[in-house]
Amino acid sequence: MSTETLLTPSAPDTATWKPRLVAFVCNWCTYTGADLAGTSRTEYPANVRIVRLPCSGRIDPHFIIRAFEQGADGVLVSGCHPGDCHYTAGNYHARRKFMVLHALAEFLGIEPERLQFSWVSAAEGRKWADVVSDVVAGLLRVGPVQPTWGGAGELPVRSLSEPPRPVPEPLDVVGELRATAQRWLSDCRVDVFVGYGQGSLPGRLRPAFITSPDEVDQLVWNEHAVNNLATYLTRGLVKRHGRVGLLVKSCDARAVVGLLQERQIEREQVTLLGVPCIGVEVDGALAPKCHTCDSAWPALVDEVLSAEVPLTPVDGEGLAAEIAWVEKMSPAQRRAWWQAQFDRCLRCYACRAVCPLCYCSQCIADQSRPQWVSKSSDGRGNLAWNLVRAFHLAGRCVGCGECTRVCPSNIRLDLLNAKLAQVVRDEFGYVAGGDPDLPPPLTTYLLEDHEEFIR
Amino acid sequence: MARIGVFICHCGENIARNVDVDRVAEAAAQIPGVAHAESYRYMCSDPGQRKIREAIVAQGLTGIVVAACSPHMHENTFQNAVEGAGLNRYLCEMANLREHCSWVHSDREEATSKALELIAIMVEKVKRNQPLAPIRVPMTKRALVIGGGIAGIQAALDIANAGRDVVLVEREPSIGGHMAQLSETFPTLDCSQCIMTPRMVEVKNHPRIQLYTYAEVEAVDGYVGNFTVTIRRRARSVDESKCTGCGACTQRCPQKKIASEFDAGMGQRPAIFIPFAQAVPNLPVIDRTRCTMFLKGKCGLCAKACPAGCIDYEQTDTLVTEEVGAIVMATGFDVQPPTLYPEYGSDPDIINGLQFERLLSASGPTAGEPRRPSNGEVPRSVVFVACAGSRDPARGVPYCSSICCMYTAKHALLYKHKVHDGQAYVFYMDIRAAGKNYDAFVHRVIAEEGAQYLRGRVSRIYRDGDQLVVRGADTLSGTALTIRADLVVLATAVTPRPGSDALAQKLSVPYDAFGFASEAHPKLRPVETNTAGVFLAGTCQAPRDIPDTVAQAGGCAAKVLALFSADQLEREPVVSRVNEATCVACFDCERVCPFHAPEHRELRNRAGDLLRVVSHINEGVCAGCGLCVVTCRSHSIDLAGFSDEQTFAEIGALAPF
Repeated sequence: MSTETLLTPSAPDTATWKPRLVAFVCNWCTYTGADLAGTSRTEYPANVRIVRLPCSGRIDPHFIIRAFEQGADGVLVSGCHPGDCHYTAGNYHARRKFMVLHALAEFLGIEPERLQFSWVSAAEGRKWADVVSDVVAGLLRVGPVQPTWGGAGELPVRSLSEPPRPVPEPLDVVGELRATAQRWLSDCRVDVFVGYGQGSLPGRLRPAFITSPDEVDQLVWNEHAVNNLATYLTRGLVKRHGRVGLLVKSCDARAVVGLLQERQIEREQVTLLGVPCIGVEVDGALAPKCHTCDSAWPALVDEVLSAEVPLTPVDGEGLAAEIAWVEKMSPAQRRAWWQAQFDRCLRCYACRAVCPLCYCSQCIADQSRPQWVSKSSDGRGNLAWNLVRAFHLAGRCVGCGECTRVCPSNIRLDLLNAKLAQVVRDEFGYVAGGDPDLPPPLTTYLLEDHEEFIR
Repeated sequence: MARIGVFICHCGENIARNVDVDRVAEAAAQIPGVAHAESYRYMCSDPGQRKIREAIVAQGLTGIVVAACSPHMHENTFQNAVEGAGLNRYLCEMANLREHCSWVHSDREEATSKALELIAIMVEKVKRNQPLAPIRVPMTKRALVIGGGIAGIQAALDIANAGRDVVLVEREPSIGGHMAQLSETFPTLDCSQCIMTPRMVEVKNHPRIQLYTYAEVEAVDGYVGNFTVTIRRRARSVDESKCTGCGACTQRCPQKKIASEFDAGMGQRPAIFIPFAQAVPNLPVIDRTRCTMFLKGKCGLCAKACPAGCIDYEQTDTLVTEEVGAIVMATGFDVQPPTLYPEYGSDPDIINGLQFERLLSASGPTAGEPRRPSNGEVPRSVVFVACAGSRDPARGVPYCSSICCMYTAKHALLYKHKVHDGQAYVFYMDIRAAGKNYDAFVHRVIAEEGAQYLRGRVSRIYRDGDQLVVRGADTLSGTALTIRADLVVLATAVTPRPGSDALAQKLSVPYDAFGFASEAHPKLRPVETNTAGVFLAGTCQAPRDIPDTVAQAGGCAAKVLALFSADQLEREPVVSRVNEATCVACFDCERVCPFHAPEHRELRNRAGDLLRVVSHINEGVCAGCGLCVVTCRSHSIDLAGFSDEQTFAEIGALAPF
């Protein structure tokens, strides 16, 4: 297991250290603004290296991650002021992505000085010089990236502010479940019904793919029905059967909404059977996501099983409490804590396999030209993989918690996802898995989106 | 195997002064993949370019890095040079050693090491450059001109006279714009209408111009060479095919006291009206917000008065669709009302320059005699205030409105010509009269016409009995002034026409904080926009006078005609491409693209069965911003010229600094 630091491979010699700043800038405004600083002979520190891209909308978060991997002490991202974009809206879209990235960096304990954003127009040569000077001064203040060896591993994985809760007795719906699945299959309404079957270990269920009305007795329902079956909707194994009947809990149904929104499934190909759910079990206790779940009934269904649902008031803050717990740490502690988390990553990609919204036929983690993510399980690759995974789910994660449940190393992916869901909710007023007709928040923008974090 | 040539320019002394170019050349030669490195005093000169061409041929170079000035300066020059030696022009990159290094870092050691790193970055990039070929797309050789002022008219006539069809859309009931409202034009004092109205008639009668008045552009789809434009023709409530323009309807209308737009509120018009006598088309229109028939449901006097029976209260807006290949935006300007400054108050005798034009115009409400709006008397003393809103970042607009110095001088002169014993005072900040014969004109107004020019600001205007009291300062003599005036004319700021920002958005044309549309390059591409095929004429781009507007409109026409001179369009090949094998068809690219470039492509097998639908970028539309590339989670889209691999290579080269 790697003991490399989050950002840089080795601690530099502080006596001769000079901050290394990489600037990703748009061609039309900031690059030209920097040209103007030149023609105006406005002096600024030589620590900056500019990478020219057509638009701030072309600045991929991966580029920023790679710059840090490459040993940069800081990254500056700069484009046109709102309204000035050469391509009319590239910077508005970029602003939303930057907002998420900014929050993510902060949550990971990366000092704000290290990741800075600015708008510099073609007329603002002076501003460019000032921004670079200022960012370099900030880097001098925070110094070189410090290694975080030792101590980090001793931090607890989980906050104890929310005590585990007991799992309620499951509702008795099995009879109706089997009857409905049988009816759907006999009527040729669906070609395959995806529900839960008995697993090989006690207390474990596994997905059951029922293609014949005679097999419906394999279907079961109890508090161990934790898997998000929506994952299978995009998998070829299930897709090739044709029309799919799917058993959904309220959280699973939200993932179906996401898939509809992203055009991965056609509504008419899927028939949804809603199951009222009052909580499932993870590690012998009520799953964390169930603490804050406010609905036993899935919102998007074609038919629903009937049951008397006891009123379960929502109380406790669930993951929000744990996010607050992480945020209470100092940035350095936070970085160490996440470092310890990511160090454990085996790069088994179970998180990817189980996620209903990770459906790409070829994941970037498997691509080689270019190599987006280092493929071995080391500090760099683990950081890049986990950041990219979280970023790709920003505004899309429905909080089913499956990634964290299946992680063999107990990495708190759910905290990253939940933090970004918070950002998306607070900044863009959007909650994933609600309305399938809404555009995903990172594919749209508002003129009045916040930009206080941009210089 | 890459064989990269690195050519380091001294730029005379500009780079060589702060960067040890010889050392950089030596070190650059050691970068893996670099087959040739040399420095020269002026790389962009003919001998410099020859060095590049010769080295390409002699050394079999596969990529070129020119380490010189900004690519915005000379990228095209060096791409041409590279092409001249038979290498694809997109295998050339520039390292910016001048603007981004030697000019901004005085420490020679630091600048030298940075210069080498900038070169190393571009070497790594150019190793991964791909030869690119220009993109060719078909084209409709027909132009749309939006706005029927002098800019739009000039552009439309120039294009049509060159033999291409033009669609001209004007929002108002008549073409003519502001120029038709003016009295006489500086500095020659031509009667504005005398030179304008024949052009308007020419537009009307031109066989190649399709004119839509009282119409607006509703939607613009497509891309250069292939725009589809939806035009909303607003209901005139008058059947154009039958109307003879006799004007009987306008005389019978009971609503007669509506402030006339054409007279800038100085005159009045009925609810059914022809904007002005020389309007083109000479047809009335019913102002439905004021017409009794529309407000109260009864009246119908105009319909009774019409001998041709062409009043149609039931008429509705219609939408027409036009296919065009190029668009000229010529939406013009407005002047701010004379009420910006509370300390000037709001008084009928305080008007803006455009209103004064109407008072001076022979076609105006006073038949060209300046009269006070308050009591109709001839003003004996008039104060003109220049920069009444312009060049005032705090309360008005920070920019110079460009035309006010000249039209204020003209106003003073025309006033003196009409009221010989009257006194004209002009408060100004400084006089900007840079056009041909302009300065002489202003001097004539001061020296020969006796207008009193006072350098300073007006601090307060208030009414005292029948007159206005203007308090200001003469900063040249350092005295405070109090002038009693019958009329005050404020040269208020020129602003873009309301709604031009919404139109700019439909055209995907960027605009500045004030709403003026942005040209592609302030020096070298002043009439083009960053949306290919869309051009800017006149004051929608910035305040300017008539000669400049006409010249710019002619420039637009030349650009449109040059575009139409080829049968197919050639475009920069910096466009996105989709890897169909990995595209998962989420179509987030479609959601983010500002240009609607992503399309749905059906993949079929040989039997014709549909296998999948994937995204496909229309290269003719793609502007190459790369937004889709970043949005695509499976990274199935890449941008030619700024590919992921190139950028990673650039970042990879950053390590040693």
